[in-house]
Amino acid sequence: MTPGEGFLPIARDLERFKEIVRGEVKKRAREFLTREELFGQVEGRLVSIPLPQLELPKIVHGEPVGEGLGLGGPGEEALGPGGHIPVAELELEEFLDLMGEALRLPRLLPKGEGEVTEEAFRYTTIARKGPRGLRHVRRTLKESLRRALLTGEYRPENPLLVPEKEDLRYKAPKNQPKPHAQAVVLFALDVSGSMREEELRLVKTLSFWITLWIKRHFPRLERRYLLHDAEAWEVSEEEFFRAREGGGTRLSSALLLAEEILKAYPPAFYNRYLYHFSDGENWQGDTPIALEALKRLLPSLALYGYAQVEGPYGQGRFLEEVREALAGQEGLATAEVRGREDLPQALRRLLGG
Amino acid sequence: MEKELRYWAERLRERAEALGLSFPPVLFEEVTPEEMAMLAAYGGFPRRYPHWRWGSEYLRYRETYRYGLGRIYELVVNTHPVQAYLLKGNTLLAQKLVMAHVYAHADFFHHNLAFKPIPKDMLDEMAHHAAYVERAMERHGARAVEEFLDLALSLENLIDPHTPYIQRPEGTEEEKPQERLRVRPYLDPFVNPPPGFPKEAEEGANPKPLPSRPTRDILGFLAQHAPLAPWQKSILEIIREESLYYAPQAATKILNEGWATYWHTQILLPLLTPEEALEFAELQAGLLAPHGLNPYRLGYHLLQEVEERWDKGRFGPEYEALPLGEKLRYERPTGEGRKKLFQVRTIYTDLPFLEEFLTPEFALRQGLLEPQDLEGFLQAKKALLFRLTNAGYPIVELWDANYQNRGELLLVHAYEGVELDLKKTQAVLENLHRLWGRPVHLKTVVGGKERLLSAGA
Repeated sequence: MTPGEGFLPIARDLERFKEIVRGEVKKRAREFLTREELFGQVEGRLVSIPLPQLELPKIVHGEPVGEGLGLGGPGEEALGPGGHIPVAELELEEFLDLMGEALRLPRLLPKGEGEVTEEAFRYTTIARKGPRGLRHVRRTLKESLRRALLTGEYRPENPLLVPEKEDLRYKAPKNQPKPHAQAVVLFALDVSGSMREEELRLVKTLSFWITLWIKRHFPRLERRYLLHDAEAWEVSEEEFFRAREGGGTRLSSALLLAEEILKAYPPAFYNRYLYHFSDGENWQGDTPIALEALKRLLPSLALYGYAQVEGPYGQGRFLEEVREALAGQEGLATAEVRGREDLPQALRRLLGG
Repeated sequence: MEKELRYWAERLRERAEALGLSFPPVLFEEVTPEEMAMLAAYGGFPRRYPHWRWGSEYLRYRETYRYGLGRIYELVVNTHPVQAYLLKGNTLLAQKLVMAHVYAHADFFHHNLAFKPIPKDMLDEMAHHAAYVERAMERHGARAVEEFLDLALSLENLIDPHTPYIQRPEGTEEEKPQERLRVRPYLDPFVNPPPGFPKEAEEGANPKPLPSRPTRDILGFLAQHAPLAPWQKSILEIIREESLYYAPQAATKILNEGWATYWHTQILLPLLTPEEALEFAELQAGLLAPHGLNPYRLGYHLLQEVEERWDKGRFGPEYEALPLGEKLRYERPTGEGRKKLFQVRTIYTDLPFLEEFLTPEFALRQGLLEPQDLEGFLQAKKALLFRLTNAGYPIVELWDANYQNRGELLLVHAYEGVELDLKKTQAVLENLHRLWGRPVHLKTVVGGKERLLSAGA
């Protein structure tokens, strides 16, 4: 068996296996959407997907047998891997693309201004001056040779070349501007009394996928998180998802703080995404302020996503008010989330689909 | 292969033979980790029929290696000549160890009785199987064949590993091949009904039971009697044959690895240079590490035990009659250890090997047993033997192919106190139903009560 020939059959079997895995991911996209054990794994390069369906069933015993004695029990064998759980691994990017396709998530396009041109230095040219470390030996010797030939100092029987100062050549950098789209996403969460564990879980799921999906399109993504009740304050990502209860609600507080934070991300350089999760209950009198802030902000945002999550006490009116006040405005994405089954649709809409 | 390796392959072979091992020619080939992963996925053969599970296995081996979780040093294939693969890039000492190990495996394949009925041209057989399945895919569609393979593979452990040893008088049990009347294809099933269904006229009139006695060879029965297309029957035969090929390897894992470890040690130790001794010790320690059920460790120590016992005359009625404590001190030098080892290698499989030699004395010496916990040891031994029975698979027999006179299948699980995985079993029954076309049933015990699992009923 030569490696070239030998590899063909397994490549075929491997490709078929991957095809089946891809099909399985698409088929079960909705299930994966809420699979929390997946969340922890997705940050890496590979996603491990548990796929019991891919196991060929056999008639087997229900419980492990032969334990004890210091020699039984499950375990790896010394010269090769032993038993395994049926898990398939996919590249994160491919996994996201499959999920995106299955859930019909929209592609995000960088806004024209959202591109930042980065100067990337590449040592692609040659200079006569430079630091010793960048000396280009071959080019230097070539110059030496050329000079020796020209001056008639070159002796083929003793071809030793001693470079002089004028022969020295150095690698030199050249600017190669590289366009890069970058983005910032800001999540704001209403923590006033009414958001509980289950609602928080829905929010967590949504923001998890929103982050991944934006990152899929803008690898250079910055993330900021803020919480609010009647006041708004910035928190770490970890703190963002901790359950808590607060007082009253002023939705405007979040929007005003977001406006403040986003000043550090000018729209000329950033695609700016703002997501706001709330049950829609707002203090009377605050809604006009919030809508006013929103009107100011909206033109500079790639998307403003407002997700209204239904809590144990129902939901407020903010969703309708936003939809009325900003009807037809570009960059506005709203969704209602009453439960898990709304997630695929909500996710799609929040991403502008 | 590099010159130096070839030189050592020769020297190690000479030494192995001088020590009493004998085997057919062994071909060594160095392969990359990727090639090794592929060969391991293919069960040691460079060519298998197309199926996604090889791809899945390949990925698993490759990733395991890539993340440093385990490497396959060697792969030996029971063919004639014996084919052995070495991992490229191993140190010379590791390769020497592996080659000595391989010679002992070759000796084991060659002499152990469990391997006697195994065809030696499996390389060709596997390639034929691959070609057959590929052709079937061309004719009947890749997906249709794959779906059937998925179905059939879920039955791959429903074989009788002893089939190759059973010789039945010819012509008495098997039905005579039916005479087929030539008719248009669409009429064929009516004019030439598939065997396995009682003809109306025969009903009630001394029906012959099918199968004539309960059988574990369910794949074989289906290949003969299930209402399937010829290519489907051939695929069942292929899977059955390949399962039977691997069955003796599963049944002798501990003995075979113990044997190979014992001999690579014997062969190599006198040849080690002082610099190599440390590396050898490291490799050996890794191989014999006490984790899980390490067949290398258990087999090696048990074989050493056998050698020591027979060297010191610790066998026979007089010895067996002694109380435990005195057994440990008994000595009647005979020097028969080696002779006994070769006998064990020839006639034992793991199950009787452990049954006989995994004794309380051994466990005491190995520190596996506290003197006061003899009962616990015997329990654990029983559980271990159970796990090694039928490669750990439940024993299932086909009792009736015309259950309740309705052409339904009745399978019976030989319940030994451990229940089946009901979810997986049910999935297999569904597959079996699709294959048989009529309802199928499996009698087993759940929660202490007899229960009939069914599919299609």
